[in-house]
Amino acid sequence: MFKQIALAVAIVLAMALPAVVWAQTSPQLEEIRKQIQELKDSYDARIQALEKQLKDAEAASAKAQAAAIEAQSAATQAKQTAESGQAPPPAQPTSSNAFNPALSLILQGGYYNSSQNPNTRSITGFLPPGELGLPERGFYLGETEITLSANVDHLFYGQATLSIDHGNIDAEEAFFQTTSLGHGLTGKGGRFFSGIGYENSQHQHNWDFVDDALVQQSFLGPNLTVDGLQVSWIAPTPLYLELGAEAGKPVEFPFPVTEHNANGIQIATVFARLGGDIGVSNSYLVGAWALQAKNSTDDQPVGFLDGLTGVSNIANGGNTKLWGLDFVYKWAPEGDRVDRNFKLIAEWMHRSFDSTLTYAPGTPGTQIGDFTANQSGWFVQGIYQFEPAWRVGLRYGQLDEGSYDLAAGLVGAPGLAPADFTPRRISAMVDWSPSEFSRFRLQFNQDKSQIGITDNQVYLQYILSLGTHGAHKF
Amino acid sequence: MKTTYMRSCFKLMFGLLAVLGSLSANAALEIFACEPEWAALSKELGGDKISVYAATTAKQDPHRIEARPSLIARTRAADLLVCSGSELEVGWLPVLLQTSGNEKVQVGKPGYFMASDFVRKLELPTAVDRAHGDVHPYGNPHIQLDPRNIARVAKPLSERLAQLDPSSAAYYQSRYKDFESRWAKAIAEWEQRAAPLKGLRLVPYHKDSVYLIDWLGMVEVMNIEPKPGIPPSAGHLTDLLSKLQQQPADVIVYSAYQDPKAAEWLGERTKLPVVMLPYTVGGTPEAKDLYSLFDDSINRLLKAKK
Repeated sequence: MFKQIALAVAIVLAMALPAVVWAQTSPQLEEIRKQIQELKDSYDARIQALEKQLKDAEAASAKAQAAAIEAQSAATQAKQTAESGQAPPPAQPTSSNAFNPALSLILQGGYYNSSQNPNTRSITGFLPPGELGLPERGFYLGETEITLSANVDHLFYGQATLSIDHGNIDAEEAFFQTTSLGHGLTGKGGRFFSGIGYENSQHQHNWDFVDDALVQQSFLGPNLTVDGLQVSWIAPTPLYLELGAEAGKPVEFPFPVTEHNANGIQIATVFARLGGDIGVSNSYLVGAWALQAKNSTDDQPVGFLDGLTGVSNIANGGNTKLWGLDFVYKWAPEGDRVDRNFKLIAEWMHRSFDSTLTYAPGTPGTQIGDFTANQSGWFVQGIYQFEPAWRVGLRYGQLDEGSYDLAAGLVGAPGLAPADFTPRRISAMVDWSPSEFSRFRLQFNQDKSQIGITDNQVYLQYILSLGTHGAHKF
Repeated sequence: MKTTYMRSCFKLMFGLLAVLGSLSANAALEIFACEPEWAALSKELGGDKISVYAATTAKQDPHRIEARPSLIARTRAADLLVCSGSELEVGWLPVLLQTSGNEKVQVGKPGYFMASDFVRKLELPTAVDRAHGDVHPYGNPHIQLDPRNIARVAKPLSERLAQLDPSSAAYYQSRYKDFESRWAKAIAEWEQRAAPLKGLRLVPYHKDSVYLIDWLGMVEVMNIEPKPGIPPSAGHLTDLLSKLQQQPADVIVYSAYQDPKAAEWLGERTKLPVVMLPYTVGGTPEAKDLYSLFDDSINRLLKAKK
């Protein structure tokens, strides 16, 4: 440091000297100038040399310091290993990133092989082509999911799940939830998967099969999502009892994509669940739910009838009502699910769709009249993990096209009657999960959901979970 | 006729109210212990002023518990959660906290007590990468097998009980004093009895006995699991067999909640003794409480050493 100051003084002096000697007008002026120039040059050279020395010294000292730090940390580590009981607590994170939300990324995709063209497939009397959620044949990239979550503050928790699929980024869920209401109460607001049923609130990567059950896909598919509010309450009893209700606006519901550009509440749901353990190895959860949604008041194509009649129809207004029952049973020896476990899931739901129907608009056979379709469906699936990484599963599901109540004008309109056909599908799968974070699945479906057609489908799927360790619901 | 009907209706209503009232007006502090060792410690410190629910048993892998409805209902009722922490329960506790609607036990509240916050943890990873298996970024969370850690946790836990239930603070304080002196004596006895175990070379299934190994000066030669949380394949076991010929070991150990197959397979081929350790209270018929947990762990190892 002192050296540097001395150097600086010398430089200033050297610069100032010419000014001082300028006043002298004697003949030695040239000589003095020459001497000064020499002095200056020599100073410049010395300064440059000193600067170089300084730089070298600095570099060497940095190197030495780094080596010292390394040595020190090695010593600390050695000490830790030697007397490992004395390891210091982890350093507290000091950067502003410490508050970053938990981040997780789900990668999904695979290979799909089917005996029928997925673009022409439909569920007779229920879903038109294009609404079945089938992937393209061949290799395909599934939904990529990004979830961010954290406590917002002392009152709220927030979470967003963004899905990237076919070039679109959607907010699959984006909600906040209370953490401080107490008394078993939790409020939720934003966009969320409705709490009805069992499969509905499960994200795709948690499903036990590549696809969701026929009835789930057809009535709610794949997840009934609500923009609105949810309240749930857990009873203060050792037996688990949950009551919940939601109000808001449905996203893409009921058929097939509906605009809900209207004031007020467009969908309301209620649900109740009861659950507990039987001994240490068995646990169960049973639920019941109901919902009512307003159909769009605008002219709305009724795809599920088009598939049946072969003519296009339009619905106007009315309501969609659904109710359902769900049941989950899980078994694990001694309650330890690591080596072996089994789960049985069954759901049943009923849908009543009423509206004013314009039958075959723009054709000579056009009729208008009130219309109600009563339909139902169910599935049951069992999953058995027979050793740590391996599971097998079997699922059967079917839909019941039920009955149509028609206004006088519509009675007898060709095709506006149940086709006397029961869509059904049976699925078998085996999956391998080398760790909690990766899963590879082979699934076979025999799909008889379209009249006159058997679609044999084979899936090979991967599901990978990166980032924050996921915590899954029962 | 009508009056008797009315009367029985009233009786039923009052009966229900009484039941509900007794559920909510229960004076005892409700404790939800994630693992049996913390249930046992809570009982030691809280006596009859608390009521303890153990969420898991010694036969269950604490990493891999389902967030079952019964656990949500119990979390809902809890005044205090006592868990290991350090992400041991990361796969299930967050769900319980989020769905229980119980503000008393949320992160940062007095009702949220993570035992590993009060001890020095071993195996703090220098790099956190899932290529190394299901590593715990905050260090090894299986802290209960070093009895000195139990002592370190007992003090703050006793203080937490007093904070939540100030009217019984003196009671908790005296129970803690009593426990502290008995526990210190027990540790001295265990250390004396376990002296021959010093230098014993162990092959544990999972990295869940490192604190026991560290306390008694034993050596962890290797683990049966290829990476934490990854079950061993047949190929890996064959590798282990050849490695064990180069790196001699004395005892193969596994915990009560683990599948003994891999350990027994290795034991048969290496002729090494295979020992099941209780891991926590209830893991063996002998390990009935915290004291017998350590008695039995040491006994089993001493027996294997002979």
